[in-house]
Amino acid sequence: MKSRPLCFTTLAAIALSFSLLNAAEKKAPVDFEQEVAPLLSQRCVSCHSPNIKKGELSLAGPEDLLANGYVVPGDPAGSYLLEVVSPAGDDPAAMPKLGDALAEPEVALLRRWIEQGAVWPDGFVIREASKADRSWWSLQPLADIHPPEVAAAPAAWRQNPIDRFVWAKLSEANLKPNSPADRRTLIRRATFDLTGLPPTAEEIDTFVASDSPDAYPQLIDRLLASPRYGERWGRHWLDVIRFGESRGFERNQIITNLWPFRDYVIRSINEDKPFDQFIREHLAGDVIAPNTPQVEVGSAFLVAGPYDDVGNQDPAQAAQIRANTIDEIIRASSEAFLGLTIGCARCHDHKFDVISQRDYYAMYATFAGVKHGERAVATSEQRQERDRQLGDLKKQQAELTRQRDDVKKLAIARGESQKEHYAQLWSRPAISRQSTEEKFAPVLAKMIRLEVEGQERDPNSKSGYGIDEFEIWTTGENSQNIALSSAGSTAVGSSRSAGDFDGAYSAALTIDGKFGARWLASGPQLTITLAEPQTVDRILFSSDRPDAAPSHGVANFVSEYRILVSVDGENWTEVANSYNRQPVNDAHRRKRLLAAELTDEDRARSQELETELAAVNKAINQVPALPVWWVGNRSAAPGPFHLFIGGSPQRPADEVTAGSLSGLADSAPKYELPQDAAESERRLQLANWIVDPQNPLPQRVLANRIWQHHFGTGIVNTPNDFGYMGGRPSHPELLEWLAAELVKNDWRLKPLHRQIMLSQTYQQSSEHRTAASQVDGDARLLWRFSPRRLSAEEVRDVILQIAGKLNLEMGGPGFRLYQYLQDNVATYVPLDEHDASTYRRAVYHHNARAARIDLMTEFDSPDCAFSAPRRDETTTPLQALTMLNHDFTLDMAQFLAERLQTEAGDDPQQQVHRAYELCYGRSPTEAETKACISLAGEHGLPALCRVLLNTSELIYLH
Amino acid sequence: MMNAFSELSRRGFLGDILTGLSGVGLIDLLSQGAFGDEAKPAQQTPHFAPKAKRVLQVFCPGAASHMDLWDYKPSLEKMAGKPLPGEENFLSFQGKNGNLMPSPWAFAPAGECGKPITTMLPHMAQHADDIAFIHSMHSKTNTHGPGCVFMNTGHSTEGFPSAGAWLSYALGSANDNLPTYVAIPDVRGEPPNGKANWSNGFLPARHQAIVMSDQLPIRNLARPDRIAEAEDAAARALVAKLNREFAEQYSAESELQARVAAYELAARMQLSAPEVSNLASETDATHQRYGTTDANPLKAAYARNCLLTRRLLERGVRYVNLYCSSRASGVDGLLNWDAHKTLKPDYERHCPIFDQPTAALLADLKQSGLLEDTLVLWTTEFGRMPTHQVGTTGRDHNPDGFTCWMMGAGVQGGVTYGATDEFGRRAEVNPTTVWDFYATVLHLLGFDHEKLTIYHNGLDRRLTDVHGHVIQDILT
Repeated sequence: MKSRPLCFTTLAAIALSFSLLNAAEKKAPVDFEQEVAPLLSQRCVSCHSPNIKKGELSLAGPEDLLANGYVVPGDPAGSYLLEVVSPAGDDPAAMPKLGDALAEPEVALLRRWIEQGAVWPDGFVIREASKADRSWWSLQPLADIHPPEVAAAPAAWRQNPIDRFVWAKLSEANLKPNSPADRRTLIRRATFDLTGLPPTAEEIDTFVASDSPDAYPQLIDRLLASPRYGERWGRHWLDVIRFGESRGFERNQIITNLWPFRDYVIRSINEDKPFDQFIREHLAGDVIAPNTPQVEVGSAFLVAGPYDDVGNQDPAQAAQIRANTIDEIIRASSEAFLGLTIGCARCHDHKFDVISQRDYYAMYATFAGVKHGERAVATSEQRQERDRQLGDLKKQQAELTRQRDDVKKLAIARGESQKEHYAQLWSRPAISRQSTEEKFAPVLAKMIRLEVEGQERDPNSKSGYGIDEFEIWTTGENSQNIALSSAGSTAVGSSRSAGDFDGAYSAALTIDGKFGARWLASGPQLTITLAEPQTVDRILFSSDRPDAAPSHGVANFVSEYRILVSVDGENWTEVANSYNRQPVNDAHRRKRLLAAELTDEDRARSQELETELAAVNKAINQVPALPVWWVGNRSAAPGPFHLFIGGSPQRPADEVTAGSLSGLADSAPKYELPQDAAESERRLQLANWIVDPQNPLPQRVLANRIWQHHFGTGIVNTPNDFGYMGGRPSHPELLEWLAAELVKNDWRLKPLHRQIMLSQTYQQSSEHRTAASQVDGDARLLWRFSPRRLSAEEVRDVILQIAGKLNLEMGGPGFRLYQYLQDNVATYVPLDEHDASTYRRAVYHHNARAARIDLMTEFDSPDCAFSAPRRDETTTPLQALTMLNHDFTLDMAQFLAERLQTEAGDDPQQQVHRAYELCYGRSPTEAETKACISLAGEHGLPALCRVLLNTSELIYLH
Repeated sequence: MMNAFSELSRRGFLGDILTGLSGVGLIDLLSQGAFGDEAKPAQQTPHFAPKAKRVLQVFCPGAASHMDLWDYKPSLEKMAGKPLPGEENFLSFQGKNGNLMPSPWAFAPAGECGKPITTMLPHMAQHADDIAFIHSMHSKTNTHGPGCVFMNTGHSTEGFPSAGAWLSYALGSANDNLPTYVAIPDVRGEPPNGKANWSNGFLPARHQAIVMSDQLPIRNLARPDRIAEAEDAAARALVAKLNREFAEQYSAESELQARVAAYELAARMQLSAPEVSNLASETDATHQRYGTTDANPLKAAYARNCLLTRRLLERGVRYVNLYCSSRASGVDGLLNWDAHKTLKPDYERHCPIFDQPTAALLADLKQSGLLEDTLVLWTTEFGRMPTHQVGTTGRDHNPDGFTCWMMGAGVQGGVTYGATDEFGRRAEVNPTTVWDFYATVLHLLGFDHEKLTIYHNGLDRRLTDVHGHVIQDILT
C-alpha cells in the first residue's frame, strides 16, 4: 500500500491557521494509515483511482480532494466530501455509488480526520487492493515435490509417480480407483486421445490378442510417432491461441495465407519441438531467426486473432481501434502462455490479481509495433535465387516500357501542339456524374441502348461503372420520362453480383425513379425496353444525381459511350455519342489523342514493342514469386508509451516502458527496457522472460493443459486463468511435479504424454460407482476415467474414416465448408454439399470467423474470437438434425454401405459384423444383428449406415 | 392446430420412444449440459417477479437516423445550411461534414401523447401511445459491425453472447417443440458482422439463435428428398432403440439420455417448425394488413417475416431478433439504413418496407393481449449526424446520440426519456448506454443484470459488462 517511506506533514500547514488545528486536537487522534486509508481503499478507490477517475476525482492521493474543495482541512462543514457521503434528508447518501452507504461511525471518522487537519502522510498512495497478492499460489516458484509414499496402494499404483499423487488424494477422501479398463476400451481411448481417430479393427484385434506387457507402451509410442498426433494436439493449441483464418469484425475478409502457421504448429508438435522454443517463436520468431521461414512463421501467432480493419476517419475512434487491436494481442498472449488475464488491467489495476495497469501498458509497449498483414517470407537463398533468375529481365522490362511509352508520348505531343483543333473538335461539356444529357432529333424507339466504351478510372475498361438513373424523355410539350419501370419499361444489363442478395445492383435500379442505389455494371451495355414504341428526343443519366459537388466515395462513372435506338431490337441507329465532348480527365484525353495521332508506322513499332514486352513479362512471371504469408508486419513504434486512464487513448497518463510483470517480481527475474528499446528487442525480451526457467507460470499452465486434454478437466479447471477468479488445483503437488517433469524433459511434450498415459490413473475404467460419485461427483479426484463425447473434428474425421474416405493429405491451403461471398463485407454461406475435396481431416478446414459450419459448429467447434482453452460438450436437437439430414451424412452412409459390400460381401450377417467393427470396434450382439439386418433388408444398407452414424456409441468414448 | 401437433408429437414420441427414461423432462435433460461440464446450471432463478416473458427485438441495421424518424429537431430547419456550432471541423467516420441539414420530411404529432414522428412512418405513428422513446442513447463505436455487436451483446468486439442467448441461458425454453431464441435475418442478407449478432459467444452452443425466416428454413430441418418417409421412420426408430440401449447400459451418464432426448426434440421441431412457418393458414385480411403481397418484394418479404415473428412469439419462442435490412453494401444506403449520400431516396426505400409490416405485428400483439407480457425493443447501432456529409445529401455516422425504444410488458407508453441537444448531435439529458438499455430489459425479465453472470477467461461476465443502470423512469 505504501509506495515510499512515510514522511508525515500536515496538509493543514498549507491552508490553515494553528488555532483551528488546536481546536481539532482535542479529540482522539486519527491514525490515517490504519483507519482512514483502509476505508477509502475499500469504499472509494475502485471508482476514484488515478486510472478510472470517475467524476475526474482520484482518492489515491490528497491532491484532487484538496483542489476541488472535497476536503478543507480543519473545516468539516466546508468539506464537500462529508456532504456526499451523508444522507440528505430522505435521500440516501450520493456516495459511494456501489454498495451500502457508509456507516455513521465511518462518516464520523472522516469528520474527525478533517477536523484534525486531514493529515495525509507524504507520498502515501492508496490503491484498491486486489483480492490476491504476490503470495498467490500460482506465482510462487515451483516447489521441489517428491511423490508421496503410498504403502497401502497395490503394487501397480506405487510405480508411476502420477499414480502415487492420485492415490494419496483418493485415500484422503476414502476412495479407491477403478480397476483397469479392458484392452478394447484402452486402445480406443488412447488412439482417439493421441490421434483424434479410431483404431482400425485390425489394430484392435492385434492389441487385444497380445498379452505382452510391452504391448501398451508400444502402442503409446506408435501413436506418438504418428503424424496424426500433431494434427490432434496441434488443434488443441490452435484453440488456445484463437487461430482463425479471416479478419473478423464487420468486413471479415478471408485470409488465404495463414495456413503455413497452422502447418507450423502441427509440424512443431509432431517434431516435439521444445515448447519454450515454440513459445519464443510465437512472440519473436522473426527476431530470433530472420530469413528462416519455418521459424519466422511462428510469429504469425501475434496476428492470428480478429481485428477491425474498417477505415475510420474519426481520429479518436481510429486510436481506440488500434488500442483494441493491441489489447487483443495482450490478452491472447497472457492467457495462452501465462494463464493470466492481464487484459483485465486495461482500464484499472486488476481487481483480483496482482496485475497493475502499469503491467498492462508495459505489454502494450511490447506489442505496439505489431501490424496485421502479409509479407514475403523467404530464406536469403530463396531471395538470392529469385534475383539470379530474374537477372536483367526487370531492366529489359523497364527499357521496353520506356520505348513503348516514348512512341505514345511523341504522338500525344503532336496532338497537344494542336490544342485548338481538338478544343474545337471536343467542344461539348465533359460528361457529368450528376447529370449527362443527350438531345437528338425525334426518333421512334422501342429500345434504347447505352453502349459504354470506357469508364472514368480506366479508359480501357467497359465495365465496373455505376449508374443510379437513366431517363428517356418523349418529344413534344408534355415531355415525360418513359424509362421508368412504373411506366412498364424494363432494363437489362449485366451487373456485379452480391451472392446473398440477388439483384442488389441490378440494372433495374436505373429505372426505379430513385437516386440512392446504383446499377453496378459488369458489362458494356444497358438496354432499356419501353412498354411501347414512342418518339423520344432526349436521354439523361447519372451516377450521383444530387446537385452537389463531387466528393470522395462516389461511383466510378461512364466516360465514353454511344446511344443507340431500335424499334425491332435488330436494327440499331446511333443517335448520340460522347466523342465531341471534352474528355473527362487526362487519361481519356491521352487515349483520344493517341487514337487520332498514331501513324501507321507508330502503330507497327508499338506492336513490335508490345510483343517483346509481353515475352519479357512472361519470363518474369515464370520466375517463382517469393511466398507471401500472413505473418504480420512491424513498425518501429518508438513510443513513448503511456498508461491510458480508463483504457482510453484520449486520456494518456504516466509514461510506461516494456518490462516484466510486477506480480512475478519475487519468483522470476525482472527486466525493464529503456524507452528507446527497439521493437524487436521488446518482444524478444518478453519471450525470453516468459520461458525463463525461473518463471513458474508457463510450466504450470502448459502441464495443466496437457493433463486436461488427457482427462477432460485440468488439475486447474480454468486453464487460461491461474488467478484469483480461476479454479484451485485439485492436485497441487501433482501439478508442481508435472511442471517440473516438463522442464526436466527440455519442455518436450511426448515424454509427459507417455508418463501420463502409462499411469494406472489413465488406464482405469470409466465405470460409474454410485458410492464414489456421492463423494466426488465429477471425479475430479480421478476415481474413474471420465467418459467424453468426441470433439467436432473427431466426429467428422471418424465418419470419414469409417466410410473409407478420409484423405490424410497433410498441410497446405485449407478446404472450405462454406461459400465465400464478398460484397464490401464478407458472408460465409454454409455448403449443402461437401464434395470429395473436403474429405480431409477437419484441422485442415479453413476456419473463418463467424462462419457457421454445419456439424462443426453444432458439435462445439469454437468461433475463435477468443482463446478457447476448453471445448463445451453440448447436446442439442440441431446436432440431431444435421447428423440425420445433412448431405454429408447421407453421402458417408452411402460410402460406408459400399465399403461393407466390398469388405463383407453380400451376407447381411457379415455386413453388420463388419459395420460394428468399423464403427465401434466390437462385434454386435445377436439382438443388434437382428435389428440391423431387418432395417437393411427392408430399406437398404445405406439406411442402416445412416442409423449407425447417428448412434451415441460412435461419438462417446469410455 | 397447435394442439393437434402437440398431441401427435407427445403420443408418437414421448409415448413410444422415451419409454425407459423414467420421468425425465426433455428440456431438463438437455439443459443440464453434457458431462456436467458447465460452470453453472443452465437455468437461473429469476431474481424477482418478471413483467415480461418474452422479447421481440426489431433491429434496423445501418444506423437508422434518429432525427429523421423519431427525434424531431426543429432547430435543423431554423438553422438549415448553417455550420454545426462548435463542431465545424469535426471528422466523423467518413471524414468531413457540411452544414446542418433538416429532415427531408415533415414530422406530425402522433397519438394522444402528441409525439412528433416522421410522416414517413404513418403506421408506426399509430403506436406512439404505447412506446417509451429513449432519445439519449450513445454508443462507444462509430463502425457498423462493432456497433451492431455492441447493441446486441454489450461488447463491441465479437465473441460475446447476444441478449437472446443470455435470455436462453437465464430462462431456458418455454416450448419443447421450438427453439428458444430465433434470429430472422432480412431477405437482403445478414446484418453487419453477421452471425456474431446472435452468437452464443462463450455460453454453451445451445444458446445460439436458430436462424430462420420466411425465405430461409431452418437448416437440415427437412427430411432429405433422397430418403423415403417410411425409410426415415424406420431408421429413426432404430437410432432411438440403439441410443436408448446404450444410454441404459451406461445409465449413470445423463448426457447419453440427453442425446436420446435431443433426437426427440429434433423430431418435434420437424413437426412444429413447418407449422409455425405456414403463413398460408393466416387470413387474407391478415396478409393485407401486414403487406405480404405488396408489389415491392423487399417489403413483402419483411412483412412475411413479421407475420412469422408473431407466430413464433405466440408459440412460446422467448426471444425473436427480427432484422429489417442487412449489411453494408457496395452502395451506401442500398441494403440498409446507412444513408451517407442520398438520405431522401434511401429512406424512401427503407421506411415503407419497415412501416406497415412492423406496425401490423405490434397491433396484433396488442390486440391478442400478448403485448402484456412481451417486451418489444426497437434498436439500431448508432445515429447519424445532423449535418450532411461534404458534397452529398446524406448523413455520416454519429455514435454520440441516437434513439432506441421499448414497448409492452412493464414499459410506460407515450413517454420520452432523455434527449439529444437541439440538433441531435449528442445525448445531453440522461445519457443512456447500451448497458443501461439491457439492465432495463433484464430487469423487466426478472433479473438483476449484475447477478446474471457466467465465468469466462478470468471474469464473471455479464450482458452489461461492468456497467448499467435500470432506466426506472420508463417503467410502469
